[in-house]
Amino acid sequence: MRARVSNYVVVVLALALVGGLYTAFLSPRSKADDTTNQSMAVQEGRQLYLQGCSTCHGLNAEGSSGPTLIGVGSASVVFQVESGRMPLANGAAQAPRKKVKYDRTQIDQLAAYVQSLGTGPEAPTDAQLAMVNDGDLALGGDLFRTNCSSCHNFAGAGGALTRSKFAPPLKAADARVIWTAMASGPENMPRFSDNTLSPQEKADITKYVRFITSQNKDPGGAALGHYGPIPEGLVIFLVGVGLCIVVTLWIGARA
Amino acid sequence: MSSIRDRLKRSHEPEENAPGFDQHDTRSGSGNGGGVVSVETEPPLPAEARRAERIVSALFLLGVLGAVGFVVTYIAWPYRYGHAYSEWFTPMLGGTMAIALFGIGAGAVVWAKTLMDDPETVQERHHLNSEPEDRAEAASLLKAGAAATGIGKYPILRRTFLLSQGALGALAVPLLFSLGRFQFKEKTLSTTGWKKGSRLLDELGRPVKLGDLDVGGVKSVFPDVPGGRRMADSAALLIRMRPEQLHPMKGRENWVHEGHIVYSVICTHLGCPVKLYEQQTHHLFCPCHQSTFDAANGAKVLFGPAARNLPQLAITVDADGYFVARDDFNEPVGPSFWERKPHYKEPKYSDSGTGA
Repeated sequence: MRARVSNYVVVVLALALVGGLYTAFLSPRSKADDTTNQSMAVQEGRQLYLQGCSTCHGLNAEGSSGPTLIGVGSASVVFQVESGRMPLANGAAQAPRKKVKYDRTQIDQLAAYVQSLGTGPEAPTDAQLAMVNDGDLALGGDLFRTNCSSCHNFAGAGGALTRSKFAPPLKAADARVIWTAMASGPENMPRFSDNTLSPQEKADITKYVRFITSQNKDPGGAALGHYGPIPEGLVIFLVGVGLCIVVTLWIGARA
Repeated sequence: MSSIRDRLKRSHEPEENAPGFDQHDTRSGSGNGGGVVSVETEPPLPAEARRAERIVSALFLLGVLGAVGFVVTYIAWPYRYGHAYSEWFTPMLGGTMAIALFGIGAGAVVWAKTLMDDPETVQERHHLNSEPEDRAEAASLLKAGAAATGIGKYPILRRTFLLSQGALGALAVPLLFSLGRFQFKEKTLSTTGWKKGSRLLDELGRPVKLGDLDVGGVKSVFPDVPGGRRMADSAALLIRMRPEQLHPMKGRENWVHEGHIVYSVICTHLGCPVKLYEQQTHHLFCPCHQSTFDAANGAKVLFGPAARNLPQLAITVDADGYFVARDDFNEPVGPSFWERKPHYKEPKYSDSGTGA
C-alpha cells in the first residue's frame, strides 16, 4: 500500500518537473519577453509550430530531420501548409498535395511566426491578392508561357521532372498557393522574386492560371490530359486510321 | 449465297486443270474474250431496286444538305471570339463537311452495292511488252516523224535546238547552289543574335540587372538586338545559384558573374527547349528525350541522348549594373549538323571578372 502511494508521488513529481522544464525553456512566454511587441499572431503561430512542426524542423526552427525554417519567409509557409504538403506524412521524392490540416487563420499565424524568425519571401497581402481579379489575362498568358509552361505544361496540367520528381498540375491550387509558389520557389521550382516577376506580374499569371484551370473548356471533346499534339496525333493515328481500316474491311466483307 | 472466292475458284477450274496453260492460251482460250473470266450477278428485283434508289437518293440529298450547311455556317455563324456560339464555329464547319462527305460517300457505296451491274471479273496476267509488229510500227512512226521535222537536213537549226535544250538544263544549276555547304556561307548555323556587349533582355524586352534574380531564380533571356526576342537560336536561360554551388568549367571562371550563369536552352540532341530547371539539384531537363544537364557544372550531360554540354554564354555586368554578353556563343547552339567541327576555340577574356 505504501509502495503504491510512493509510486504516485514519484509520477506526480516527474510530471511537475517536465512541466516546469517546458515552461522554463519552451513556452512562448519565456521568450516573449525579448521582443515585447511581438504580435499575438506570432505567439499563436509559435504554439502551432511547436505542436505541429517542431518534430522535424527543430524546436527553434533550426532544422532537424527537416530543413531549417529561418529565413524561408511566410510565402513558403503559406504554400506548403495551404496546399496540404506540410505537415509531411512520409519522406518521398516530393511532398504530395494532401488534405489541409490548418485553417486560414492558423496558416497566417504560422506564417507570421516563421517570418519573424528571419525575413524571406512574403506571402501576398490581401490587397495584393485583390490585384488578381484585375490582372491582365493576355500578359499573364505571355508570362506563363515563358516562365511556367516548360514544367507545368501549357494548360497547367503538370509534367515529369528527373528522378520521380514532377511539376504538379495547377488545377487544385488557389490564387494564394499559386502566388506563394512563385514567390518562395518550393522544392525544385525556381524562385521568382518580386524583382524577377513584379507583384503585378504575379497577379497577371495567377489570374491566367486560374482562368485556364477553372474553365474546363475543351471544344474538341477529349483533352487527353492536355499533353498536346503528340498524344493527339497518336490517338488520331491509332483510333482514326484503325476505324478507317475496320470500315474498309466491313465494306469489303459485305461485297 | 457462295462467297466470291468460291465462285471465282469454280470458274477457274477448267483452265487450271488444262495442260500446257500459257499466256497465249489465256488470251485466245476459254470463250469469254481476252482471258477475262466473268461471274454475273442477278439484277435486283424491281421492288428492291426502287427501295435502293430511294436510299441512295436520300443519302445524296443528305450530302447536299451537309454542303449547304457548310456554306451557310461559313457565311452566317458568329466566329469572333467572345460570342456565345463562336466556339462552335470550327466544330460546325467540321460537322457539316463530315455530313456532306458521308452522304455522298455512303450513297455511292450503297449505289454500287445494290443497283450497279456487278460482274466480278478476273483477267490473267500476260507479258507486259507489246507484240513485235506493234513495236515495229511504233518505231517506224517515230522515224517518219523525225524525218518530217527536217532536223537532219538543217545543221544550224539542229545545233541551236540542242543548244537551247542544254540552256534549259542550265536553269537547274543555280538550284544546286541552294543545297549542301553553299548555304552555310554566312555561318547561319554557327552564329546567333548575341553580340559583344548585348544586354540580356527578358521576355517583355526589359534589360535584366544584377539583383533581379534571387538565389534559385531563373529568367529566360534574349539578345538586345532588333528582333532578338524572336530569334529561335538565341534563347538562353539566366540562372542564379549560390556562388559556392557554381563550378564553372576550367578557363570559364570569368564567364559567370556572382553565381549567375547563362546557357543556351536549345537541346544539343534535337533542339527542344531545355527550360525545366530544378533549383535544388541544378538539373536542366529536356522534356523531349529526358536529357539532363548539370547547370552547376558547365551543363555537362548527366543523362539522356544529348551529345554535348549546353553551350554557355559568357556574361558580365556593365557599368549600370545590367547583365551583358561578352560575345556570341563560342560554338553552334543546338543539334549536330554535318559541318559542325568537333572542337571550337575557347575565347579568353582578359579581365578577371568577379568569378563564381
